[in-house]
Parts: sequence; C-alpha cells; structure tokens
Amino acid sequence: MNLLEISELSVDYGVSGGTVRAVDHVSLFVQEGESVGIAGESGCGKTTVGLAVPLLLPRNATVSSGEIVLDGHSLVGRSEAEMNRLRWKSVAFVFQGAMNALNPVLRIDRQIREAITRHEPEVSKAAATTRVMEMFDFVGVSPTRAKSYPHEFSGGMRQRAMIAMALVCRPRLLIADEPTTALDVISQSQILALLNRLRRDQGLSLVMISHDLAAIKRVCDRVVVMYAGVVVEVGSSHEVLGTQGRRARAAHPYTQALIQAHPDLRGERTLSEGLRGHPPDLSTPLVGCRFADRCPKVMALCRTTPPPTTEISPGHLAACHLLSSGPS
Amino acid sequence: MSDPTSIDRATSEDVLRVRDLVVHFSGRRVAGRASTVRAVDGVSFEIARGEILALVGESGCGKSTIATSVMRLTQPTSGQILSGGEDLAKLRGAQLRRARRRIQMIFQDPFGSLDPRQSVFDAVEEPLVIHSVGATPEERRDRVMRALDFAHLRPPERLARAYPHELSGGQRQRVAIASAMVLGPELVIADEPVSMLDVSARSGILRLMVDLRDRLGVSYLFITHDLAVAWVVADRIAVVYLGRIVEIGPCESVVAAPAHPYTTALLAVTSEEDLPTEGDPSPTGSTEVLAGETPSAVNVPPGCRFHPRCPRYRTLGEPEVCRVSDPVLRAVSGNDGLVRECACHFPEGVS
Repeated sequence: MNLLEISELSVDYGVSGGTVRAVDHVSLFVQEGESVGIAGESGCGKTTVGLAVPLLLPRNATVSSGEIVLDGHSLVGRSEAEMNRLRWKSVAFVFQGAMNALNPVLRIDRQIREAITRHEPEVSKAAATTRVMEMFDFVGVSPTRAKSYPHEFSGGMRQRAMIAMALVCRPRLLIADEPTTALDVISQSQILALLNRLRRDQGLSLVMISHDLAAIKRVCDRVVVMYAGVVVEVGSSHEVLGTQGRRARAAHPYTQALIQAHPDLRGERTLSEGLRGHPPDLSTPLVGCRFADRCPKVMALCRTTPPPTTEISPGHLAACHLLSSGPS
Repeated sequence: MSDPTSIDRATSEDVLRVRDLVVHFSGRRVAGRASTVRAVDGVSFEIARGEILALVGESGCGKSTIATSVMRLTQPTSGQILSGGEDLAKLRGAQLRRARRRIQMIFQDPFGSLDPRQSVFDAVEEPLVIHSVGATPEERRDRVMRALDFAHLRPPERLARAYPHELSGGQRQRVAIASAMVLGPELVIADEPVSMLDVSARSGILRLMVDLRDRLGVSYLFITHDLAVAWVVADRIAVVYLGRIVEIGPCESVVAAPAHPYTTALLAVTSEEDLPTEGDPSPTGSTEVLAGETPSAVNVPPGCRFHPRCPRYRTLGEPEVCRVSDPVLRAVSGNDGLVRECACHFPEGVS
C-alpha cells in the first residue's frame, strides 16, 4: 500500500508582479517502508514538494491543484489544527539547515522533550524523559550529553539531535531536506548510515530531498528527478543513478548531466563540462521541453512540444522526446 | 585540465612557505585551569608558483585556521609564513597591508560574503581602492571589467551593474573570484569555495579556478572536506587531522595508494558514497568507517593523535608506540612506488 500518494500537485508562489508555478503537476508515491529521493538543482521545486506534504508552505504559496494522501487521509485543504495532529505523529520533517535551528539557550534534551509534550500531552514528564534518552542512544549520541546546549555539539551531533527530535513521536514518514549538505564527509557518512539503520530497524518510510545523488543512491530505493517544477525521470536508484561500465544508466539527458557533474574518484581525473546555463524563468510561459535550452541533444520538436512520459522498464519512466520518437 | 606534473618542484619558486605554524587559542577555564585549543599544532608546507595544494580534512581539523593565519586574519602563536622574501607572521601595519595584496581569499558562502547593497562593480573595485591601485577611475574601471571577463561574468558591462540578489550562487562566487583576482595576486586561498553550491554550478567554478591558474599562473591553497573535489583540481593534497598534516604528496599517489590510515578512511567514506550498485539493487551500505567524532583540540590524545580512532592501531594489536610516541612526517614510498610524506608509525608502503 502507498503510505504517501501525491497526484498532479501544483504549487504557485505569489511574487511581485504575478505568480511563479514552482511545482507543476507533480505525482509521486512512497510505499510503506520505502525510501524515495527527490533530486535536482536548487530552484527545481523539490523542497516545495517536501513542504507541501505537512502543509508547511510559506504564506505566499498556494496549492493550486492536486491531491496529497497520507495513510489514507487527504491532506490538502485541512485546517491548521487538524494538520497539527498529524504532524510529528504521522509525518515529521527535518528542515534544510535544521541543525542550526535548535534554540541556543535551551538544553537539547528539553527541546526534544517539548516535541513529545506538545503532540502527546498525555505522556508524563518522566516517561517523556525516558523516551528522549532512548532516542539519544538510538541516534548515536551518548545520553550523558543530553543536557548539553546546542553550541556544545558538533554539526553532525546537532543533525543527529534534530533527527532524534523528528522521530521521538514515532512518525511513519520522515521527510528530510538536504540532511547532509552542510556536513563534512565523515559526518555525512555517519548520518546516511543512521538513516539506513532507522529504515531497517524501525520500518520508517523516508523522503530524502537532496542535490547529492551519491547520498540518494546510498539511502533511497527509488529516486524522482525534478527539473524546473516537473518530474523528468523516476525509477529505482539502481537504474536511474547507476552506471553500466562507464556509462550512466539514466534515460533523461538532465539526469545524465547531473551524474556527470559529480567528480568521481574512480573515474578520470578531469572536470566534467557540467551543466551550462540556468533553469528557465518559471514566471514566463514555458513551451516545449523545459530542459531544451541546456540539453546537449536538443531537437526542433523539443522547443515546441512538451515531451510525453515514456516507460523504459517497469517503474522506470522519463519525459524526453528522444525516448519516444528520436534516435536512441 | 593541465598536466599536474608540469610543475617542477625542485626549480620553481615557492610563493608560500609555511614553517612549523602553531596557532593556539586560550579556551575557557576548566576546573580552574586554563585550557588551550591547539587548532594548528606544527604545520609546514610550501606552494610553488602555479601550483594548487589542497588541504583536506574533517570540520574542526584546523584547515580553515591555517588559511586565516596565512592571511594574518588569525595571529599565529609561532612559526614562519614566508612569502615574497618576508615573514608574514612578523609583519604589521602598512607592511602587512602591502603583503596582503599578493594573497587573496575566497570564502565558502557566496551569499554571506557579498554586501547586498554593493553592486558587482563596487565589490570588485573595492580592493583596488583599498590598495590604491589604478591612478584614475578609468584605469580602475578597465581592471574591473577585465576581472569580470576573466571570471566569465559576461557581458561584464551588464553584470557590473547587478546586485547580489540578482545573481545565482554560482555567479556570486564568480564575483568573489573576480574581486580576489583584480589585484593580480600570486596566491589565492579558497576556503570550501564550492561546498555551498549546486552540483551544476560547482563544476563551472572549479573549471574557472583551474583555468585562471593555467592562464595567469596564480597558485591556490584550496581547502575542502571533499577528497573527490581535491582530486580533480589539486596538484598535491595535504590531509589534515587535529591540527597536523598527516599525509602530503602528489594527488594521484595520495588518492590511489594512501599511506596513512586516516587518508584511507577518508577515501573509504568518499568512495563508499560513489559505490557502483551494479548487481546490488538494495543500497543499504551502512559501514561506519570511522566511529566517533574528532577528539577535541583541547585534549589532543598522547602519542599519535589519531590512535583512538585508528583501524590500523586496532588491527596491529594496539602497539605501545602509537600511544606514547608522536609520529613525524617522513618520506614514504607508497604501494605505487611514488614518494609522499606520512606521519604514521606503520605507514602503508616502505619508509
């Protein structure tokens, strides 16, 4: 069964002089116990999709179409009070840069305990404290450090504390936005290992939003690649982000370019061409394929007609004219 | 990409020589005793003209303190910073300002390092004004436009009028590069210049930096936590752990055949993330190569400072020498036959 199902979701931001459609008819699903990555450059709409699920979008954003169904409950249009009951207990969120969002003047154990007392007022203080200590142990921070202040923790430890806080009400789905981006490689590796352990031991479902394809590949079963507000490719991480010999297995030229933009310690010691140019301006009308201006394989058709979605193998889909009509 | 062997280290002139650099900060009093943070604890290296040296290590290892000491934004406790026949560690006032013209810095955060009320032109012109370079406004304008063009901010006339909020992260970092380059420095210190950027902007900035080295002969001290980034841009890599260089050598040999167990561990976490999953559809790799956090620079472990986390120390049955004797950098011929320097009692390869 699908724990989360997003269908045809569109989100508009009101900006001076009009609206910008940051997310345009995006559909994706997360099965029970599954881990799904959302990848793409900054500004592609991946964070907006993540924020839309717990309805934590900024004030100037509106969901203009689509459905979000979490565990059988439709979420769009719910009141703040109703959402508050679902947040943390059904779906928890680790924000981008969240490790810097801890209150600097409160001890960390108290901040985590607050998440329990806020959402489960029936739990006694003693029971809440026990749960906080268990959580510390579980995310790999010694419970003896629970009474520390945030500045006494390293970045990696603060990120573990944030994950502990997100999980303390035992949500079924965790949405983590760039959970490793500001960390050094060793802390990154430890946080990714922790997320994998949470999935294995707790059956947690996970949506991980990241521009780091290597991190997604390590933690996620499937990946959704977004570009300029639309989904361009979706499939198993193995297929979309894997390589066959030296060639990327990705079907969409955008995904291929993203993969090649990563320096690879096993490959040649060269800098890739990378992606030239910028994503299109979403406040202007868009015709054809949104990636056309930057695509190395662009054809005349791409500039006039939006590409249809093609199924390459079961569950692996991409939206590119090359897959449906052009040369392979 | 230029040929990394093109720099003849024996004959070329060094733009920077750091000798026994020590930076200690006095920390807060613990149990009545003043504690000392040994952020940089005896570091020596040199950078040749046109060379890119990468300093690689975890956060808190002291790599940024090394950078700010070379800029003299941090006062070194002891040691020499030799550049242009002067010891920067001893300079003050006007002499120091003059010396700083030769060494410029690029910071990690292109969103924080630019003044939002300053146009691109003003930001790039500012170093010229501060150092009184360019006799007339026209001459300064010429230099600014050339710097913008060098940094691929094109067309320069249009971008010069832009403000930071109108620019993407990659463009802002190009502005930072242009202001670093406008004085024609010999050495640019780049502190994590791409770690806040998107993958797509990242390779563009790295290419630009290497390209400027190739065209202008500028040297870089390139600070990064990401070995994969160091590997594609640097000529040599210095791996820093708790305020010391534990391994330094040509890029290829440090990456292909690391001698120090810490380098091996850093490589393992980096390439573990890059692991091909061919034939393994469930990516559940969850090995933690290095357990625990970096020990604090207040309590540097005795003997080899890496021994409490060292896998080789445990494999070898916890030899006493690692606990009591602090290893120094010495030449080691690695498994690939190439020489690098490594501070380990039991390096991989032949010492």
